[in-house]
Amino acid sequence: MIKFHPSEEILQQFAVGDLSPALSVVVATHVDMCSHCAKQVQEIEHLMAEKFSQTAKGIGSSQMDTMLEQIFASNEPAYQVIQDTDNIISLEGKRFKLPATLARQKDRIGPWSKVPGKLYRAPVNLGSGECMNLIYMDEGSSVPEHTHKGQEATLVINGVFHDESGEYRDGDFILMNSHDQHAPQTQNEDCLTLAVLDAPMHFTSGISRLLNPFSSLFFR
Amino acid sequence: MHTMQQNEDTRRMTKSPPTTSGTDSPEHLASLLARVAATQCRAAFSELFAYFAPRLQAYGTRQFGNEQIAADLVQETMTNVWHKAHLFKADKGSPATWIFTIARNIRFDFLRKNKHRQHDLSADDLWPILAEQNESLDDDYALDHDVLMQEITEYYQQLPDNQRLVIEKIYLEGKSQQEVSDSLGIPLGTVKSRTRLALQKLREMIVNHD
Ligand SMILES: [Zn+2]
Repeated sequence: MIKFHPSEEILQQFAVGDLSPALSVVVATHVDMCSHCAKQVQEIEHLMAEKFSQTAKGIGSSQMDTMLEQIFASNEPAYQVIQDTDNIISLEGKRFKLPATLARQKDRIGPWSKVPGKLYRAPVNLGSGECMNLIYMDEGSSVPEHTHKGQEATLVINGVFHDESGEYRDGDFILMNSHDQHAPQTQNEDCLTLAVLDAPMHFTSGISRLLNPFSSLFFR
Repeated sequence: MHTMQQNEDTRRMTKSPPTTSGTDSPEHLASLLARVAATQCRAAFSELFAYFAPRLQAYGTRQFGNEQIAADLVQETMTNVWHKAHLFKADKGSPATWIFTIARNIRFDFLRKNKHRQHDLSADDLWPILAEQNESLDDDYALDHDVLMQEITEYYQQLPDNQRLVIEKIYLEGKSQQEVSDSLGIPLGTVKSRTRLALQKLREMIVNHD
């Protein structure tokens, strides 16, 4: 049962195509996992389409004719097929099934690297210059307490992690802003998450300042 | 303000009631899409174009603040509608929603075009509405197969040529849809939509006959 969903505002921005590529991937992946939000996105699309149908802007009839001719003479656009065969990633002897949107980005997932604290990270390169990573937290691992200069969006793909304010499981979507402070950790279960950061993390606790390599969890 | 309200009201009033069979009702627009999908009917497409192009132009102008880019968006959206009409599924939403989401995708890519490289994320990765579904037709139609076999042989001659050809190859010659696609040189999606439409029509014939 998913407890944490993107806000209606974020779903709205997603549905009209106003979110950044990375945040769009996170929200689309949540929507793959969450029938509640999938339905809401459909409703928003429907409402937007009604709004779209209400306003027309005249096009000259000769221009209309030219456009039609060009369309009839056009070649069929490239043929796209949804490939749903390979949606498994393996790490540390474990296999994870990726939701559809993320599975389509599989070629963009870079190599895994180990980060201190029983953590692993693999960049997801969308070509948008954004900082998106798959983060794998093994059992009993923790990320030092930190705040963010910008927003951090996290989606649990599989497993469970905790922070001061709660427990997050498969499909949960968490958006933290610069005021939020948290220290994610796992206990008896491991956890695979997808995370987007739009500004470097800023570690707050004393010891963590010495552990600046931690920011390599997200940045390189 | 008052005048604007009146305009709104007038516009609403002059519009035919939304769910009847007016020329811009969703049902009518859906039937035009079905004709484009089944027979590449240019008249049906021209009607769709006359309805949607000005709406896409308005949407594009609002989004880009530029008439030329808006016209490009109209052109690209409607080109996809022309070639991909078979991907419209009436049970999943209205024609306006489908076409709006195509335009939304194209806008998403337009906004990133200047820095677009081949491997960048595109709207199709997020919303693969124009991808051929990997749906297995066998699942959809297996149930019908035995029941329909007899009726198919009885009625399929009455189908439009391009549907009859596909039905002949699949149901009488036992070819797979991919083989039909290869042998006729038409996209797999078109084979699927023609099969779907043909079976729909056959069902109607059978029901009407009973
Ligand atoms: Zn949700």
